[in-house]
Amino acid sequence: MTRIALTLVLALAAPLCALAQYPDRPIKLIVPWPAGGDTDNIFRPFAPLLQKQLGQPVVIANVAGASGTRGAKEAKEAPADGYTLYAVHDYIHSTYYTGIADVQYTDFEPICLIASTPSVLTASPKTPWKDWQGLLADAKARPGQITVGATLGSTSHFFPALIEKAAGIKFKYVSYEGLAPRMNAILGGHVDLTDANLTQKAKVEAGELKFIAIATEKRHPEMPNVPTLKELGVNVVYDVNRGLMVPKGTPAAVIARLEAACGAAAREPAFAEAMRKQGTDVRFMDRATYAAWLRQNDELTRNLARDLGLLKR
Amino acid sequence: MFELLLDALQGMFAPKYLVPLAAGTLAGIVGGALPGVTITMTIIVVLPFTFGLDPLQGLAAMVGVYVGGSAGGLVTAILLGIPGTPSAIATTFDGHALARKGEPGRALWLGIWASFLGGLLGAVFLVGATGPLARFALQFGPWEFFSLFVLALSMVAGLVEASILKGLVAGMLGLVVTVIGNDPVMGQERLTFGIAFLRGGIDFLPVLIGVFAFSQVMQEVERMGGPAQAAARAQRALALAVSHAKVIWEIVSRPVRLVWFSFIGVLIGVLPAIGGSAASMFAWDQAKRLSRHPERFGTGTPEGIVASESANSANVGGSLVTIMAFGIPGDAVTAVMLGALTIHGIQSGPLFIAQNAALAYGIFAAYILAHPLMVAMLALGARAMLRVVSVPRAVLFPAVLVLCTVGAYALNNTMANVYVLLVFGVAGYAMVKAGFPLAPFILGVILGDQIEINLVRAIMTDANPWLFVTRPISGLLLAAALASFAAALWQHRRVQARAARAADF
Repeated sequence: MTRIALTLVLALAAPLCALAQYPDRPIKLIVPWPAGGDTDNIFRPFAPLLQKQLGQPVVIANVAGASGTRGAKEAKEAPADGYTLYAVHDYIHSTYYTGIADVQYTDFEPICLIASTPSVLTASPKTPWKDWQGLLADAKARPGQITVGATLGSTSHFFPALIEKAAGIKFKYVSYEGLAPRMNAILGGHVDLTDANLTQKAKVEAGELKFIAIATEKRHPEMPNVPTLKELGVNVVYDVNRGLMVPKGTPAAVIARLEAACGAAAREPAFAEAMRKQGTDVRFMDRATYAAWLRQNDELTRNLARDLGLLKR
Repeated sequence: MFELLLDALQGMFAPKYLVPLAAGTLAGIVGGALPGVTITMTIIVVLPFTFGLDPLQGLAAMVGVYVGGSAGGLVTAILLGIPGTPSAIATTFDGHALARKGEPGRALWLGIWASFLGGLLGAVFLVGATGPLARFALQFGPWEFFSLFVLALSMVAGLVEASILKGLVAGMLGLVVTVIGNDPVMGQERLTFGIAFLRGGIDFLPVLIGVFAFSQVMQEVERMGGPAQAAARAQRALALAVSHAKVIWEIVSRPVRLVWFSFIGVLIGVLPAIGGSAASMFAWDQAKRLSRHPERFGTGTPEGIVASESANSANVGGSLVTIMAFGIPGDAVTAVMLGALTIHGIQSGPLFIAQNAALAYGIFAAYILAHPLMVAMLALGARAMLRVVSVPRAVLFPAVLVLCTVGAYALNNTMANVYVLLVFGVAGYAMVKAGFPLAPFILGVILGDQIEINLVRAIMTDANPWLFVTRPISGLLLAAALASFAAALWQHRRVQARAARAADF
């Protein structure tokens, strides 16, 4: 009898202990894009800082495919115990509204937003254009022929689509999942244009790549000679915001622990330095602010998808 | 350039760098030898230890893991017939056969020395031709990749064994496996039958371990207690001693082939997407074609081991090319290395070698030095490892199966992969029993996704299907695929006919 009682007590206590000790084993961070892309580049320096805060290894797993939604589905279906984190960006809204996947941001609990990367319209070195005017004239002369490497339904599809609409031109889209494969294709001239960002600065400095225009309000201090789309008369301001989420149903205590760790990691000078080198702004939002921002961004993306004729829901 | 390299090599001998390099190499060998533990997983385990080190120390450790890992896989492949890493698949074909014939020591050392030499040849390409190789790789658009993978798929014809039909069916089944799950472009579900865990598709590694490990263990179980085994055990004691000079001569007496296999390895490494597994199979297939005795392949011919191991070692050198030339990592291992550079605030990219010459040549030096370290460590461990073949099977194989299962689970920390392992283990054994060869099946699984993605990309870029033929590299590759298929069929017929004649006498 005592033995049964003891077993019962132990059985009941076990989950509580597990909770109290979180984290007591390595944590997996799902990056839904191939290794070496921009999301990967941003979370790789972040993971060790988060690890320092949590006291357990934070291991990046690149789960790429189907416009980033393979990773999203895996994250959604993972146990809600805080041992699977999900490196998300704005594509979570756009792939839902363009009908690529059924996963949406409400399937997750937000933890924090950490970085914001302005988009840069980037051209292959094999293209003849020297600047935006050259590209515009060519695009008007050959509608639907200039190729854009993009992850369909994701931010790298939306950004060129916004330019198409603002400038009254038409591109042809080719599916290249993630920035790293897109870079291989654009360096080799197999696509003409792509949505990239200042993480690719070194290739521009080496003359391997051309930045046409950046989608910020003002010129960026890291690349002051790149004009903004706005000053070129194309009213597009666009950036990609990256944060952390966990599956819905994760215990509140675990979420709180993660939020605190994420905040401390994002404030580390080492993170700011790594992001500065990549032309990315540290943009920290705590859980509550991030949740409100996500709701707003979702509405914004839906309207955008409708305006661009990509809305499938 | 050579001065820089010499300086870097001298610098690498400092304990400050030699210790992390050696530790990394050792970790790599162990991780590589364990089926189910990938080089990526090993590097992730090593990574936290490198945070406190200076950039080159950390990179040296990672390069060590990379080199050690790709060599470590051969140990399990040869002694147990189970590839320790995907890149050792083709090593099992002849390596394990030779070990079974009673020469495990010779098989092991053929593999080790071929890895060593292939890796160093890879280094020659890496140091001497990073720029041109990287430029060549950029010529590969979706058309070229598609045609290259079709050429790779045409190897099925060379892997068929007894029946062409069964070989083709096996290859096709492999392709079907890659179709399961969300399609890679639009996320459409295919062949998932509403089962949640199939939606993400089937991971390659549990399929590989399942098919090879389970069928291998079952075949061994069938043989247990037979008279052949007792005889083999008596022989084994003798076969552990190896003449290194003889083994090395066996490898270098065909220098052109060695360079060719290594070049294949480098080339597949430079082109992102498929990696060591394809490199080793490609080289093995080439070796079979170039040989005057293709029928000996798969029965324990030294050439088969040399081809597979020199290619997969050189492959590591190749995959370092694009990250050195452009800062674009081709796989998860090089991405971790790029991450390490980022952590230390070093900008990678086309100017990396020019701007950080000391660091770049340090990486080259670490890559070169990791090879003798790898050989030294395997030499120290060889006696112990060879004992594995004399461990009673009843003890060894359950332990191997447990390790495989743990490996499959640890891959993503999900039970789904364990079930995949189980299903494909049984399926693989059934295939062996029914006379279907496993190699074409695995080749199909390796290539399916990439063939599909590149076909879709090519057509999205330009709807004109003739581009596959009219683009010079693509056209050449397709022609090679056709020729290779025809040649393999012809060779197959000839071998069959010869076997038939021999049977008549």
